[in-house]
Amino acid sequence: VSDLHVLVTVAGEHYALPVDAVSEVAEYGTVAPVPGAPATVLGVRNLHGNVLLVLDLATVFGIDREGLPQRVAVVEHESVKACLAVDSVVGVEVLPEAAEEVESRYLRGAALNGGALVGIVDVPLVLSAVRETPGP
Amino acid sequence: VSEIDPAILEVFREEASERLDRMVEDLIALEEGRSGKEAVDSLFREAHSIKGSAGMVGLEEAAAIAHAIEDVLGTARAADEVPTQLADPLLRATDALRLAVAGKVGVSADVLAALTAAERQHASSETPADEDRAGAPPAKEPVSAPAAKEPPVAVSGEPAEAPPSGEAKRLPERRSIRASADKIDRLLDTVSETVLHHRRVEHLLANGGRGLGHDDERIDEELGRGELLVEDLQDAVLQMRTLPLSAITRPMRRAVRDLAVAHGIDAALEVNGADTPLDRMMLDGLSDAITHLLRNAVAHGVEPPDERERAGKAPAGRIAIRAVQHGSMVEIAVSDDGRGVPRELLHESTESAGLFEVLAQAGVSTAKEVSDVAGRGVGLDAVKARIESLGGDVEMRSEAGVGTTVTLRIPFTLALMRVLLLQRGGQLFGVPLTSVEEVVTVTETVTLAGRAAIELRNRSIPLCDLSDIIGAGAPALWQPPKALIVTSSGRRLAVACDRIVEEQEVVTKSLGILLAGVPGYLGAAILGDGGIALILDPAFLTQAPRSRAPARLRAEPVPSKVLVVDDQFTVRELQRSILEAAGYRVETARDGSEALSRIGAEPDVGLVVTDIEMPEMDGIELLRSIRSEPKNAALPIVMVTARGSEEDRRRGVEEGADAYLIKSEFNQQALLDTVERLLAR
Repeated sequence: VSDLHVLVTVAGEHYALPVDAVSEVAEYGTVAPVPGAPATVLGVRNLHGNVLLVLDLATVFGIDREGLPQRVAVVEHESVKACLAVDSVVGVEVLPEAAEEVESRYLRGAALNGGALVGIVDVPLVLSAVRETPGP
Repeated sequence: VSEIDPAILEVFREEASERLDRMVEDLIALEEGRSGKEAVDSLFREAHSIKGSAGMVGLEEAAAIAHAIEDVLGTARAADEVPTQLADPLLRATDALRLAVAGKVGVSADVLAALTAAERQHASSETPADEDRAGAPPAKEPVSAPAAKEPPVAVSGEPAEAPPSGEAKRLPERRSIRASADKIDRLLDTVSETVLHHRRVEHLLANGGRGLGHDDERIDEELGRGELLVEDLQDAVLQMRTLPLSAITRPMRRAVRDLAVAHGIDAALEVNGADTPLDRMMLDGLSDAITHLLRNAVAHGVEPPDERERAGKAPAGRIAIRAVQHGSMVEIAVSDDGRGVPRELLHESTESAGLFEVLAQAGVSTAKEVSDVAGRGVGLDAVKARIESLGGDVEMRSEAGVGTTVTLRIPFTLALMRVLLLQRGGQLFGVPLTSVEEVVTVTETVTLAGRAAIELRNRSIPLCDLSDIIGAGAPALWQPPKALIVTSSGRRLAVACDRIVEEQEVVTKSLGILLAGVPGYLGAAILGDGGIALILDPAFLTQAPRSRAPARLRAEPVPSKVLVVDDQFTVRELQRSILEAAGYRVETARDGSEALSRIGAEPDVGLVVTDIEMPEMDGIELLRSIRSEPKNAALPIVMVTARGSEEDRRRGVEEGADAYLIKSEFNQQALLDTVERLLAR
């Protein structure tokens, strides 16, 4: 397991995705909403000829965002592939130990990195949350 | 055994399992008196082959059982007789053989003893075979049905070897090769990608504008040829993934026989149209549903022999599977000539809830007041859900005392389907064409108890706004709205939308496991421009009016039509989606001259949004031409340009533009505010 993380921002907050879980970063693109889907689902989009689900990390973490997300990080876990919508991708970095306590069940922990508190996203839990959250 | 190459063992097991399937089929035919010496010959050959190869891969016990079967059949062959009463012990020997082939040990002792005993008895009785058949049937015992097994895929589009008896002919073995289903699925995926890729190229050439030479005839010619090639390729791969219905019905004869014995009735299964082709994906989903219906026919349909005779029926019940292909749909009817559904239940079914639904409901309800009815209904909701997830529908007909028929209608494949594309709230949706009866324009509605309906040829059809059914929250419908008449399981619904786009053949992809719980969609299709259309499930749509809000058809004025002019496809479509989402009707044009002919052809254009720099006729020229026509002198025109150049703005204003937007500062709200302000004047 690598300590390398893809750092992203969501509504002004900092989050990190384990680099092994991220297969690609892409523009937000054109997302078709899926009426009836849980609130965390922004819709589906076409990525290289595949239909991928787009999840809003802001909704997952219960934070408000202004406007549309700009990027997606394509994540994969146990052959389930989905896009996580974020505002920006900052870069790939080695994070210090996740020593800070966090409240959200979708975070594995948090680390202080260059003065910012960075939440380490639990990708499998975020994906499984789709099936647990009710529709609108 | 451990030294055997696993790949060789795998091939052996697959082959032996197919041989065993055919042996079971032959034995049942033998037992029912439908077959004679030729079945004995073919059984002998199959047992002999299994014996040989089982020995080679070191499965001693399998070889021993096969040897015993071969011996019994060899004796019968030599004596030139048909051992009808040996069918049952032989069937049980094939079950043991199947286990032994799978690698289980210690399964042979009992069956071998039984087989020897039966053979000895048969030899000593010396009764001619045909008298045996006329007399009391031998005591049958139910034996566990073999585990359902994934049908192998044969590349020729036919089973690797056709059954020795029945309607299909035996094909020379060498004409087929084995390929794993995964590999064929991957091939189909890649071909589907190629189709999309081709559409994207076409789309780029048709809409890309400058520099791409879309007028070149040779390019058109090559594109046309490419399209044909890709279609051929797609057909060929789909054919490869196609299997006859017999791939799943073959073990069902055996299952019906065993079930009948267990329920103390006499029944035989008849399969018609076993060669009807179906996409393997569909077959996989279909198997459980058909098995369940057969189980119901045995357990609740066919009466015991004495009861049948009192009713003037033949003692043996007839259960039938009949399959027919109608274009891209396959219809599979499972029927029995049993007691049928009680009259009081027949009366409960209505047009909106068919007999199948009434029974399925009785099956899930916990009240057990009518236990037989509840028993019949158990699991029917799962059958229905399964068939609907395959884009199909279910209908049940029954007559008390005469029998029951359940008809399943499913598309030949889900991988490729023709859909009608429509638009609601700026978003595209597809409905399988096989479920669309017609398209109407809704000019008048009738209401009852707050629910809207339309009148069509003296019948009323409930009307719903698509947006209400799926919960899309789109703006109010344009007036008068278009509606498609969608049918499923005998129910009809008029589904209202903003615009019918076109008919298209699409490659459907699943929405994925994460969205599996969201009802209403069969999947999503990627369109030529890379966009996505959600494919609506007709069964979900037609079930809507019972549980959902009435159609929201407010008497609102027709929204204004906006003409968007830009030579860039992306810009045009971006503006279209913004405006349509806000409820406007939108037309587009690629340059000034096309815009002029649009304005001429569609007098209800209420506003023009145009780019300035365009090939052929630019925005300024367009503006001038529009203004030169007296009736268009007041038509509001919004100029959009790439640069915020003062010169452009001055020219625009001089020529009479009403507003001016800069692309680099383009935002949705500015466009909507400007359009709303100008239209309100």
